[in-house]
Amino acid sequence: MADYTAAERTIDLEDRRKQAGRRTFLKAGGFVAASGALGSLGALVPGVSTGSNQRKRARWIKVVDRPTLGETNADYKRFSGFDMFALYRPLKNERDGAGSFEAEQASKAKRLAEWTNEKKPGFSLPDRHLSEGAFTVMHSAKPGVGLLSWTRASGHTPEDSGTQRYTASPEEMANTVKAAARLYGAGLVGIAPMNEAYVNLQVPHREQPHKDQPEKGALQKDQHLTARQHDGEHPSGEHGKEQPQTVQPPQDMNIVFEDTDVPAVTDTKFVIPRKMKWVVAIAIPMDLDLLSRAPTALGDAASALGYSHSAFVVSSLAVFIRGLGYEAIPSVNDTAQSIPFAIDAGIGELSRLNKLVTPEFGPAVRLCKVFTDLPMAYDKPINFGLVEFCKTCKKCAEACPSRALSFDDEPSFKTKGPWNNAGHKAWYEDSYKCYQYWQKSGSACGVCLASCPYTKGDQAWIHEAVKATASIAPAADGVFRIVDNAFGYGKQHDPEQWWTKDSQFGRRG
Amino acid sequence: MTMTNGADYFIITIRRRPVWFWALAGLWLLLEILTLQTALASVQEGEARAATISWIAAVVLAVVGVLAWLRLGRSQKLGESSERPDDNPSLVEHQG
Repeated sequence: MADYTAAERTIDLEDRRKQAGRRTFLKAGGFVAASGALGSLGALVPGVSTGSNQRKRARWIKVVDRPTLGETNADYKRFSGFDMFALYRPLKNERDGAGSFEAEQASKAKRLAEWTNEKKPGFSLPDRHLSEGAFTVMHSAKPGVGLLSWTRASGHTPEDSGTQRYTASPEEMANTVKAAARLYGAGLVGIAPMNEAYVNLQVPHREQPHKDQPEKGALQKDQHLTARQHDGEHPSGEHGKEQPQTVQPPQDMNIVFEDTDVPAVTDTKFVIPRKMKWVVAIAIPMDLDLLSRAPTALGDAASALGYSHSAFVVSSLAVFIRGLGYEAIPSVNDTAQSIPFAIDAGIGELSRLNKLVTPEFGPAVRLCKVFTDLPMAYDKPINFGLVEFCKTCKKCAEACPSRALSFDDEPSFKTKGPWNNAGHKAWYEDSYKCYQYWQKSGSACGVCLASCPYTKGDQAWIHEAVKATASIAPAADGVFRIVDNAFGYGKQHDPEQWWTKDSQFGRRG
Repeated sequence: MTMTNGADYFIITIRRRPVWFWALAGLWLLLEILTLQTALASVQEGEARAATISWIAAVVLAVVGVLAWLRLGRSQKLGESSERPDDNPSLVEHQG
């Protein structure tokens, strides 16, 4: 180099620059090509983000005008609100004699204590309290108060800020609300029209706030539950803040629809304004790694966490909607049936479990919803071949330890007990048997959810390929069921390994 | 690729293979990639049995593919000894 003249050096540097430029160009070209190839590959791999706030659904999920199991008859009416949690005690005492429920509970408590002392896998002290900890948020969520307040829990309305309520086209509104719900933790979101037939007749007493709730002592027992606190009425003078509210109603409270402007909770009833014609239906994915340890106390943490996430999502979304200038009623399992709303909103289909199965997460979801008067574009139901698959598969029914699920080939109108909401075609389940097994196993079971062939992780391409094929070729359903068994899917994973696992696999959404 | 003694060039021979051979090779490669992806994903998902089956399938597929390649390649090579590139227009010669 030292022998080079300045001119030669310049020419040499020019050549090098050109060569470097060519190399850079080729490198950049290669990078772009590789990125393109990876992007194309990414589009094929399930679970890859689309970069949008909306979950892009697979092409094999067909949008239809009517739900696949939507047939109803004259018996279909509003459900009482009394599910197995409310019915089990009287039914148990009726079937097995007075005091049998209390005896069963005592026996269960003793058995659980023994299992914990013996460090039975899935029932150790950490296992049991993992579930309790996961349920914490849900424990403080009762219809009409606290997180699930029907009125303005916190935050400000547009009027508070001196602005107008937010307006946009129904499609934009739907996208806005869905984006917010996704941010708060929703796995799937859809908009369904309000259907009064899906709303329960009553809120059972046990679901209402009582004296060990956080609102304890704030008001007298017979005091009127507050509806929205209008401007200037709050004793603290805070604008638009919710009053502390509590009540210990002595009876079950009716849920009624009225031509009012705002939702209200009185000492006798829950009032839903008739102008609330939109329902944001939400599915929260459960932690599959925990669910695969069911039926244990450890496995219960998957449900518990799902419920707490649900309470968080709907309460956050309700505050968001109120902030846009509209009314919102957040609801988890209370107030209305989540499944039919989720079906109408295109989140999934009704299955042999008599529960919702989603194409993405199977039945391993917790459902919740928000009623609102915010005008949004409705979604439509979907069909991904699930009903045909359920007719052939029956894996959940075989896996159910209590034989509570139907083995019938076809869905029917035949119910199994007062816990079922009659009048629609379904594979009705025997919830009494199911709940009795809960007492025996000391857990909330969940084996049916874990065993469903649609309950799969989102890592392997094969799951997506099987679901896609099942949606268009029901003839292959039987083969898929056999292969699913052969691959060992749906079997219980060792509960002890959960605490030491290094896998990141688990919650999806 | 061969190098003639003393020559300062290489001879690169590109052997023409029938379409079905490439189709079969492509299918094999695709299956191998998908099987390996299933095996790795099953490990991530904690599905031990699915992972084991997928690993076995991937290894068997790989062995079968390599053996088939060697067998087909060998039969082609034996055939090559009786013909020179000049005699067979399907064999293209590049010099450089």
